[in-house]
Amino acid sequence: MNFTILPFVMVVLLITMGLYTVLFKRNLIKMIMGVAIIQNGVNLFLVSLAYRDGYAAPIWTSAPSSDMVLPTPHALTLTSIVIGVATTALMLSFVIMLKRHYGTVDSNETRRCRE
Amino acid sequence: MSFDLITHSPTMVLGIPLLFAFLTPLADKVSKELRDAVFMMGLLLTVFFVFVMSYEVYTSGAWTYVFGGTESRPTSLTSYFRIMFAADGFSALATITVAITALGAGIYSFAFMDGHSGMEKYYALFLLTFAGVNGMILTADLFNLFVWFEVTSIASCGLIAFQNYRGKSVEAALKYMLISVIGGLFLLVSIGLLYGEYGVLNFYYLAAVMTGGLVDKIALAIIFVVFAMKASSVPMHMWAPDVYSESPGSVTPFIAITSMGSLFVLFRILFGMFRFSMGAVELGTLLIILGLLSMFIGVSMALKQSDVKRLIGYLSVSQIGYMLLAVGVGLTTLENGDYGTFGAMALEGGFFHMINDGVYKALLFLSAAAVVYATGTKDLNRLGGLAHRMPYTTVFFLIGGLSIAGVPPLSGFSSKLLIYKSIYLYHPILAIIALVVSIITFALIGKIFYNAFLGPDLGLTRGEVPTSMLAAMMILTVIVVVFSLFPNYVVAEIVVPAIEGLGVIP
Amino acid sequence: MIDIVLKDMWSPIALIAVVLLMGLITYMIYNLGNPTYKRTKHKGEPFISGNKPPSDLSTIHVGGDNVFWGFTHALRKYIDPLVKGHTGIVNDYVYWFVITLALVLIYFYIMI
Repeated sequence: MNFTILPFVMVVLLITMGLYTVLFKRNLIKMIMGVAIIQNGVNLFLVSLAYRDGYAAPIWTSAPSSDMVLPTPHALTLTSIVIGVATTALMLSFVIMLKRHYGTVDSNETRRCRE
Repeated sequence: MSFDLITHSPTMVLGIPLLFAFLTPLADKVSKELRDAVFMMGLLLTVFFVFVMSYEVYTSGAWTYVFGGTESRPTSLTSYFRIMFAADGFSALATITVAITALGAGIYSFAFMDGHSGMEKYYALFLLTFAGVNGMILTADLFNLFVWFEVTSIASCGLIAFQNYRGKSVEAALKYMLISVIGGLFLLVSIGLLYGEYGVLNFYYLAAVMTGGLVDKIALAIIFVVFAMKASSVPMHMWAPDVYSESPGSVTPFIAITSMGSLFVLFRILFGMFRFSMGAVELGTLLIILGLLSMFIGVSMALKQSDVKRLIGYLSVSQIGYMLLAVGVGLTTLENGDYGTFGAMALEGGFFHMINDGVYKALLFLSAAAVVYATGTKDLNRLGGLAHRMPYTTVFFLIGGLSIAGVPPLSGFSSKLLIYKSIYLYHPILAIIALVVSIITFALIGKIFYNAFLGPDLGLTRGEVPTSMLAAMMILTVIVVVFSLFPNYVVAEIVVPAIEGLGVIP
Repeated sequence: MIDIVLKDMWSPIALIAVVLLMGLITYMIYNLGNPTYKRTKHKGEPFISGNKPPSDLSTIHVGGDNVFWGFTHALRKYIDPLVKGHTGIVNDYVYWFVITLALVLIYFYIMI
């Protein structure tokens, strides 16, 4: 198998960066940005998994003579992108409402549910 | 091919709530009555199809529904690359549990949420959550599992934050959303790992080809932790009390049942996919550890609570521990002779406890919500004497509470008896811990009952809650009583097919 | 086929039958009593451990934090850290998720 390791290094880097942001940044907007970075890392992971050197894209209209890749990971990635947009939008709208109620987006202060 | 309603019932269990979820906003354009009627129709039709599917499973056996094929059952290898639904005894048990709670919570919603604007969105989100949980339970491939997982997360977070004029609701929803999204992304990573190694996503196919290498271990660990988190197992339980105490009263049992749905999925994955290649003893031991932590820490935290819904939320965390413990014991015994002596009993106890717990926890949450509805406060320091004005709610709470505490002859006792006996044979210490937790649970139910319902009439409420709310609680009470009176019948007809559906008969 | 083990251990119908039977026997013993006894309608003050009852009866109701106070106070060294551990900061929720994931990964790596 002849595929490069570089995309997977980027995947690990992106997921680590995202997790770091979610764990150590106390600003809710920044945390959601961290989640978005993890999302992109995971999407990159799926796309790099699907890559096979020398295989054609699975488009039947211009039927190639060589073998095609199985498009399941691409379908997964598209679905994941759509879901990612929805979840990010929903979380950001929650933060907007939280800002209206509490007057802050600091996760140290948005903790009235506790104990 | 003729349209056979029974064969297609697994799709109906998903399709009907999805269709009606988007019909309710349309019906709202006509009139409010039509909207309510459409919602009720969607709910009842879904419950009807759940029972059609379960009846078919119990009378003529399980089947695997293949989407997009000309045949509805798998015939060749190409079937395993299509989307599949598993309609077996385990799906039947899980969907029945969800359906009962959904019916109760749905009927309860009419009066409870009366006066809120945007109710068409509430109903749409409710039905979407219902569809999401059913999809998560029924699906037999990992990709669909991820999609329905996210559908459930998004829709249920919308429901939690529905009363967005309350800051704490939004806060709880944001916390739950953030941790579910991160969980979902990790789930996607593990799906990618398994796909990259084997090239398929189907449960049955993966179970057959899985070798148990390092990649499989990582994937399993991620799936395990994600679903344990969604099932509110300690130490990842912290979202649960926040969400249960701050969500609108009518959806609280429904959120609890989505978390139970995740537990069903966890068990299906452990039993159906991984135990063949991973060593059942180690997986079972991990389940037992998580179960013990959940039971004990859940009930200890509940001791300090003075918010009635938060207290029941912690009790629910500790009940999840019982199921993890019992099923863990069943899993450890799967490959040795102990399965015949007490392993089967532990599995029966665990699964019977799941359906029992789904019903009586819904009853408890709904009666606590009735207290909140009538008095406007959740604080046990300010409540008191409600039995004078709310006799029916008192009785419903008492039945649910005694059942969760495991007092004979109620349904909680039947399942806990099975759990105690089997885990005593596994290790006596575990049974002692389970008994202690049960006693503290009983004391805490006594605390809520004494604080909220007994004592002199403090004049907190003018009277009983509306009739439709009482009717919803009545339905759940009748089911609890039926489960209490005929435990042998329920175990034989519902729980044993579920164990067979998981394929654990050695 | 799994045999149904619950059948040998526990029958709620039998328990209810026994309770009803006991109730019947109790009622029969109760009927043996003096039939001429008349119930008096005594309206005295409630007895609260010998203390004089307050004028406003609603103040004698014990609130939520006070029930099992002794129990939670005796166990405070165990319960208070747990309660404090539930910080409510959303970072900590993710933190526990990541920690558990790491522990389970190590467990699987070593054990399986």
